[in-house]
Amino acid sequence: MIRDMMGRIYRNFKGEILVLPGRTLALLVGLAIFIAPLLTRDIYILRIITLTSIFAVFAASWDLLSGFVGQLNLGHALFFGVAAYTSAMLNLYLKLPPLLTIPLGAIAAVAAGLAIGIPCLRLKGQYLSLATLAFPIILKGVVYIFKQYTGGELGVSGISRLAGSRLAECYIALLLGVSLCLLIWKITDSKLGLIFHAIREDEIAARASGINTTAYKLLAFCLSGLFAGIAGGFYAHYMRLAGPSMLDVMLSFQAIIWTIFGGIATVYGAVTGVVILFPLMEVMRAFPEIRMLFFAVTIVIVLRFMPEGVAPWFLDRVEKECPRCKERNAFTRRNCRVCRTLLIAGKEVSAGTEGQTGHPTD
Amino acid sequence: MNTRQLVTVFLLALFCFGMILLAGCARQEEEGNVIKIGVAGPMQFIHGQHHMLGAQMAADEINDAGGIKVGDDYYTIELVKIDTNELLSVDDASSAVEKAIAQDNIDLLVGTIRTEAAVAIQELMMDHQKIYITCGASFKEMADKVSQDYDRYKYWFRLTPLNGELLAKASLLLLQHVGQVMKDDYGIETPKVAVVCEEAAAGDTLAAVAQQVIPSFGMEVAGVWRPSPQATDMTAELAAIRDSGAQIIYTYLSSSGGVTYARQWGELKIPAASVGINVEAQSKGFIEATDNYGNYEFTLNTYAPVEITEKTIKWYEDFIAKAGEFPTYNAGTYDALYIYKEAVERAGTLDLDAVIEEMEKTRFTSACGIQAFDENHDVIWGPEYVTAVGTQWQDGELKCVWPYDWQGITYPGTVKYQLPPWVEEALQK
Repeated sequence: MIRDMMGRIYRNFKGEILVLPGRTLALLVGLAIFIAPLLTRDIYILRIITLTSIFAVFAASWDLLSGFVGQLNLGHALFFGVAAYTSAMLNLYLKLPPLLTIPLGAIAAVAAGLAIGIPCLRLKGQYLSLATLAFPIILKGVVYIFKQYTGGELGVSGISRLAGSRLAECYIALLLGVSLCLLIWKITDSKLGLIFHAIREDEIAARASGINTTAYKLLAFCLSGLFAGIAGGFYAHYMRLAGPSMLDVMLSFQAIIWTIFGGIATVYGAVTGVVILFPLMEVMRAFPEIRMLFFAVTIVIVLRFMPEGVAPWFLDRVEKECPRCKERNAFTRRNCRVCRTLLIAGKEVSAGTEGQTGHPTD
Repeated sequence: MNTRQLVTVFLLALFCFGMILLAGCARQEEEGNVIKIGVAGPMQFIHGQHHMLGAQMAADEINDAGGIKVGDDYYTIELVKIDTNELLSVDDASSAVEKAIAQDNIDLLVGTIRTEAAVAIQELMMDHQKIYITCGASFKEMADKVSQDYDRYKYWFRLTPLNGELLAKASLLLLQHVGQVMKDDYGIETPKVAVVCEEAAAGDTLAAVAQQVIPSFGMEVAGVWRPSPQATDMTAELAAIRDSGAQIIYTYLSSSGGVTYARQWGELKIPAASVGINVEAQSKGFIEATDNYGNYEFTLNTYAPVEITEKTIKWYEDFIAKAGEFPTYNAGTYDALYIYKEAVERAGTLDLDAVIEEMEKTRFTSACGIQAFDENHDVIWGPEYVTAVGTQWQDGELKCVWPYDWQGITYPGTVKYQLPPWVEEALQK
């Protein structure tokens, strides 16, 4: 039985991952990132890996709401900040451990998602975006008003660590990052994801099909808040500080930049954006004078030559989509790995007719 | 996919991994007899530039004199410039410092300015058990941690500026000085004071303390105004202050709003003397930025071109020659390096506990006074230590006007405080 199971896992691994260059590369990069902490033990590298994992979840959560459901959120830092402050204050004042404060912070972020979602869902397009932009600014004001609890502009500091060592923190962040990003990806790949797509593409048509679009949009706000909240709580415990910078407009824009750079409405694009840009900006610390200029120029160049983002651009070059069954195939293949359709640019040939006249099918 | 596309993809992947590898491998070889000192600050701004210049001046002098003597050996100082970008991003700041710890192997850190970043860096440095001398953030609670958990926070010291509470005390002494001038010269028994503190954490503290303390000075609070730190128009506040009948304005303005305030105060000839803290008024470009309306602005300062100690004037002039700007409190990195040097030399070892013990005994004659640390590792303020100074713009020049016979102290070169002529006129009426 175990042998059968192992055999099935191996076949799935070979048939679903190794067969596609994009997934193979993602696996290799993932493995390299998992092994790196064991090889280096350099706390700075561990820090980059930890923060990259946290921000990957943050960016993917923005993609879930704005990329998949089309609800352009310009104030995504709200979820991050609410969870960070909640976790930090629960830890500091009630002495709750991070294991409790992070989920509770995430629940607070979900509540924030509801609080924004309910009034904002009556708005559409740029009006919705502007409204979402306002919320973190409002919360920042609240933070300053209740400074006896929130520490005002100084933030809440002195909260406990996530784990006893940097290595442990790094692996917790990695495991959490990978599992949450996979979960977000599975959500977008499920029936729920299909409904999200439908709402984004044509909300009226989705409603006409019997979908309660308001409920689903609210659900998207809550899910997005949940994942961003987990990232925020984790970040607060890692930095051992929750401050007003976690509600900054710039943090919201960073999630947008990372996602659009990597490829919007893909989840893996958001993760790719963070995995490339965050370490790259750390490397650029060696050139502080041109660091921000380099960042801006890189974004502009990428958006000019890869308008759909780095990840889709790369996948378009190493993989081909079968025009018949829509399955992805490695660029080296002549035939679709599922339906055997001949994969030639501009035309498709069904299995059995290959090598004959080449009549297009479908 | 054609060959060209393949090459492009390959190069892109290579570039990304190369960058990541570079970050990991960019270690410098350890050199013998070198002490690496990290200088942290927002290097694209004047704050970080003053951190760096102060430290560079000290490092050059110490290295030229042979270095730091540890037992029989001499160690040279190597500075590691850490651009924290802290005014824009807190996690940028702690990442930059962690990089300096892990990859540049710094032995000591000086600098930082934004409190939120300084607090995060303080935790980081304590985790790594490395000495961190704050030269820029005034958050008092950073020092309180030392007495609360000495074993963890003993590596932390603050040199500049004074902590928030002491800044409030010192700036209120300036207010008292102006009030005394009004009483002595114009017979005003109970001057009315308008409190103008920007909407910020330090502003909250100062506004609260000022309202509590002003009546005990024999003065009356005419009202409290809380403009935005980056206000571009303060005519409404200033008009209200004029209507309130205030004769003195007590300020706490740490940002660009300080220029707006001073320009409009002078332009509108508000009949109230301005005194307190206006950080913008500490810089050389202030008088031009206010179109010369900033004359008579009176602010608390760290350095002034008077003989606070025998070192002050020469150091002050040297700094201006190199920076083209008056030194701000961030330039305290200069003294931080000397204090560390002297502590190491007294200890005769680089052992941290021994060095910290010696740093706690510090009594260093710096350009801003005698520097020593209290039991919380915070710089001591007082007549025998660092007093801070009050500087006033008079005829387009920054003059030291306080201490003026305060606790028997008047630094040679200090001039008398001047009331603005339009205020004198109003008082005579």
